[in-house]
Amino acid sequence: MSVAEGRTEEASDVRPARPSRMRFGHPRSPLAWLRPAVWLPPAVMLAVLAALWSWGARRLPYLLPPLRDVGSSLTGNPGYYLHNALATLGEAAAGLGLGFAGAFVLAVLTSELLLVRRAVMPVAVVLNVTPVVAIAPALVVAFGFGPAPKLIITGLICFFPILINTATGLRSVPQEVLHVYRSIDAGRIEVLWHLRVPYALPYVFAALRIVFPLSVIGAVVAEMSAAGSTRGLGTAISVASSMNQLPVVYASIAVLALMGVALLLAVTLVERRVLHWHDSAKD
Amino acid sequence: MRRAYGAGRSATVALDDVELTVPPGRFVSLIGPSGCGKSTLLRIVAGLEQPDRGEVLVHGVAPAEACAAKMVGLVPQSPALLPWLSVLRNVTLPQRLNSGAARRRERIPGLAAREAAAPARTVQELLAAAGLGESLHKLPAELSGGMRQRVAIVRAFALRPDVLVMDEPFSALDELTRESLQDQLLALWEEWRTTVLFVTHSVTEAVRLSDTVVVMARGPGRIVETVGIDLPRPRDEGLMRERRFHAYEDLVRDRLRRAWHSEAA
Ligand SMILES: Nc1ncnc2c1ncn2[C@@H]1O[C@H](COP(=O)(O)OP(=O)(O)OP(=O)(O)O)[C@@H](O)[C@H]1O
Ligand SMILES: [Mg+2]
Repeated sequence: MSVAEGRTEEASDVRPARPSRMRFGHPRSPLAWLRPAVWLPPAVMLAVLAALWSWGARRLPYLLPPLRDVGSSLTGNPGYYLHNALATLGEAAAGLGLGFAGAFVLAVLTSELLLVRRAVMPVAVVLNVTPVVAIAPALVVAFGFGPAPKLIITGLICFFPILINTATGLRSVPQEVLHVYRSIDAGRIEVLWHLRVPYALPYVFAALRIVFPLSVIGAVVAEMSAAGSTRGLGTAISVASSMNQLPVVYASIAVLALMGVALLLAVTLVERRVLHWHDSAKD
Repeated sequence: MRRAYGAGRSATVALDDVELTVPPGRFVSLIGPSGCGKSTLLRIVAGLEQPDRGEVLVHGVAPAEACAAKMVGLVPQSPALLPWLSVLRNVTLPQRLNSGAARRRERIPGLAAREAAAPARTVQELLAAAGLGESLHKLPAELSGGMRQRVAIVRAFALRPDVLVMDEPFSALDELTRESLQDQLLALWEEWRTTVLFVTHSVTEAVRLSDTVVVMARGPGRIVETVGIDLPRPRDEGLMRERRFHAYEDLVRDRLRRAWHSEAA
């Protein structure tokens, strides 16, 4: 039995990310990695990429630093990267938290009040496809180099995907389930809490998987736009590139990639626990 | 009573001039061609829709009031269980919600007496009687289709409803499962004697379960015939092989065919 079963309340007018089976994001059983069929292909792929990189680094030294230098920059000064990574992560998490709280509340309002839904959803759909990051420089001008523009950017980036997915999820309760609970005259809050919110959870997690990496991008772009900021991987990258320290640039990018993977893993683990009843959590 | 969807010339008249009185404690089946408004009628009785004209009373009160007092037990075509709740919690959740219903029930005339007549059974006993004693803590996904529908039936009975409203609850099940669920429904009902409105497409099912079979036709949806089923209860398999059972089946089938032709004419 899945959430998709049965007719749902209304054909939705927006296309949210479906809470589907996401094989790619799911770590399988750790033991599976012992099988060569599992670890060999990505290992070969990595080796090929590393070879290509080394070849490129010899041909274009002003674009690609030798991998060795990137590695020694990381191992030589781990405190520097950790410090900046935590700063970026903190901004991303705070912005995500704000965006999530706002989007969730608004999504509940759209599901409960038709007028709000009619007013908000078309605008949300347009803003969702607008590259909100682009206002980062303007925000820096308006709010200075402090944390405010970073929080606003990451918050805004996360806001619309979460709003659209949660609003759709809240309305994904199958018609017949609603009928049963309306026939006992369950209250609106009861329906919201016992039916709508649980049915929305798979949609919320689908949104989180999209939004976690986006929040990091938002934080990095905001740091890069604020020329005077002192912390964060975005700052580290822009400072290092202006001083032509290519290994530092790529080491920072590698740390960002690791951060993205760790965040995705974290969402997946939480989702598996919370949504153990849902198809997407069983793999 | 009349119910139309849409307005003006494009309107679909789902039900027109429908009048039906069901004595308390009767098992009544509705049968008729697809689109004749059976589900619409049930939705109106269950307070999910309002008629455009006319009135529906459930034990003397309007459907909305009956729902507010949790007098209506609805069993839809699909089990409509919540996939994250165990069997037990799926059954008890509707009991816990709308807690004001208990107070409203006291004000419904005659309800207290009817309730006193119903057997006092705990949810666990009900589930055990339905063969779900081992599955109390399983999730719906771990059950077969027939078991899920049993849970849906127990969920309705556990409300101690005055009226049970069932819309093709067994239509998605295979023949054998369906018969065993009919057995269980009849066993529960004979103990309980609550009023039942049961929609089905199966003549055999209608004759087996009901005191009264209501035959409907469409265009617009209306009642064409009411057939009383005068067979002894309990109705076991032996009865289903008897001549008088088949005679009733033939009678209902004949009336259905006539309803079909009357709309073609
Ligand atoms: N929400 C709706 N909007 C418009 N028309 C509707 C709606 N619900 C039902 N109808 C129409 O009302 C008529 C009766 O529908 P209903 O579902 O009550 O039929 P039914 O007897 O239950 O059919 P079935 O046996 O196929 O379940 C049909 O013509 C249907 O198209
Ligand atoms: Mg129907």
